Amino acid sequence: MGAAKQALRATASQAPGVSMADNGLDRALPAQQAAAGRKVLPIVEGAVLITALILPLVLQDYLTVFATRVIILALFALSFDLVWGYAGIMSFGQALFFGSAGYGVALMARDLKITSIFLVLPAGTLIGLATSLLLGGFLLLGRHPSSVIFVALGTLTGSYAADRLARGWYYLGGQNGIPSIPSMSLGSYDITEGPVYYYFALGILVVVYLLCRFLVRSQFGLALAGLRENEQRIAFFGYKAQHLKAIVFAAGGTIAGLAGSLYAFHEGFVWPNMVGVVISTQVVLYVLFGGSGTLIGAVIGAVIIEGVSFWLSDNYRDIWPILLGVLLLLVILFRPLGLISFVLGERERVGSFGVTRKEKRNAAP
Amino acid sequence: MASTFVAAFEILSFGAIIVLVVLGLGIIASMMGIFNFAQGEFVLLGAYVTYLAYSHGIPIWAGMVAAPFIVGGLGFVLEALIIRRFYAAPIVAMLGTYALGLIVRESVRGLIGGFYLTVPEPIGGSIDIGTMHISAWRFTIIVITLLVMAGCYLLLSRTSFGLRVRATLENPALARASGISTPLIYGTTFAFGAALAGLAGALIVPVFSLFADLGIRFLIQGFVAVMVGGVGSFIGPVAGAGVIGTLSAALPWVMAPVVADVLVFVLAIVFIKFRPQGLIAGKGV
Repeated sequence: MGAAKQALRATASQAPGVSMADNGLDRALPAQQAAAGRKVLPIVEGAVLITALILPLVLQDYLTVFATRVIILALFALSFDLVWGYAGIMSFGQALFFGSAGYGVALMARDLKITSIFLVLPAGTLIGLATSLLLGGFLLLGRHPSSVIFVALGTLTGSYAADRLARGWYYLGGQNGIPSIPSMSLGSYDITEGPVYYYFALGILVVVYLLCRFLVRSQFGLALAGLRENEQRIAFFGYKAQHLKAIVFAAGGTIAGLAGSLYAFHEGFVWPNMVGVVISTQVVLYVLFGGSGTLIGAVIGAVIIEGVSFWLSDNYRDIWPILLGVLLLLVILFRPLGLISFVLGERERVGSFGVTRKEKRNAAP
Repeated sequence: MASTFVAAFEILSFGAIIVLVVLGLGIIASMMGIFNFAQGEFVLLGAYVTYLAYSHGIPIWAGMVAAPFIVGGLGFVLEALIIRRFYAAPIVAMLGTYALGLIVRESVRGLIGGFYLTVPEPIGGSIDIGTMHISAWRFTIIVITLLVMAGCYLLLSRTSFGLRVRATLENPALARASGISTPLIYGTTFAFGAALAGLAGALIVPVFSLFADLGIRFLIQGFVAVMVGGVGSFIGPVAGAGVIGTLSAALPWVMAPVVADVLVFVLAIVFIKFRPQGLIAGKGV
């Protein structure tokens, strides 16, 4: 609905995000400093990683279990960030892949007694890939490009329908889901919750993070950034925009599937909310809070939201969701790039693409 | 014969409820291009206002009359403060209205707790037609839905206000140049859509009882209905709502409710995929 005038005003009102970029540039203003590679992003990433590494050493056991859950949710957040923050596809149903992988591995463990880590994790990942390929292929591909709204509502509806199906289907345990899933096993060793599971999940998160980082900084990532900013122009350049979108959507679904299978084994049960709208919107909150379009933002958002909600849930259980809504609204209105934009400049957020260090060195003199 | 009639009545009354809920959603989506995730919470608020009236000993019908005005007023304020910033970006609008909805829903949940609170029907009993009995209140809902539909249609197609709304929809810049205050029109339209949701909530609370997730139940069905009907006109979403409401009520009679539930959504999404403009394409009333 061409509300053109409003369009202008709205663009202007999003300026805070842009002005933040100036700050970031100011700080790196002296050219030598910029050349010396004084970047904030690696520092933030390193700090998060080091914190994550030493965390189980200082935390009590029950908190380590909680931290493991957060790590897995951060992995899930990463999958949504890839889809929304980098390709601009609003997937309101990311939990569909997360949850169906969870249900899939839970069924494998319950009915086939398969808990070997070498079977369940690839299976969960494949389930994520397959469902996201199916849904993404249907929603995104086709003769006419789908509208953003259609994709957003289509994924939302898919997730909601899966939720209803899981609730009503006796085989999947109905409302109660599938309880008491046995632990994942590595040979004869059971990976139970605790520091071992924590470091295992962290290892997977780091590997996936690095893969994503490589992906979004490659030429492919550059095409994605173009897609997000101006889809039509990318199409005119000869890229198959819909195919690019479907690929990223499937990549996101794959990661979500991996996260979902880790989550199912960690919690020991799956329940209908895991495929439904609740978790789907939860992951949107993580990424918006932390900062979409930066991978570390998704991780930080998941950590902060889960951390604060864990901290508040003892005393302020009732007002926390309200507070969350208010905070989310404030972030959307005044800081559309998320909390990470407090420390990260616009130029660094966009970053550079596909240039290897060697080429840079050659170009420098 | 009797059971067929009862089934038909059930289907009709559920269809009417969906139409009632979707009317506001459709008007906001078509006239403003915003898919309002808080619409379900406007329904919830309407229901809550009615419950408040009932629990304070005020006649229920008075609460039902007050609900649309209170919710509409709130909608007007929210539009001026928040929604207005989202017009350019439909996805951001979804997220923003979702946040609004979250605030409203959780506030109501905090106020009523996790309970299902019942509100009696202001018109109780049943209407007897021969040997068949149909709920008088459900019948009233059907009648009111028809009246509201007709009223909205007349308002948009026959009054000068409706003309200004449509002008703003079709070409905001030209409407502004012609001396129409488009911000005011947007505000009023949003408030009107919210008021319709409030009315829907007030009318359905005796049927579904009041609980915090009342709105969510209808929100996704409403979105699907709007998409199926076609965004951009008044008739489109109403037609979509009729189809979706009828299907969701009719299919469980012929197959397992779980399958029916999911099938409606799958069918709807497939339909929209191959006919993105919806059942009734085009702008206008």
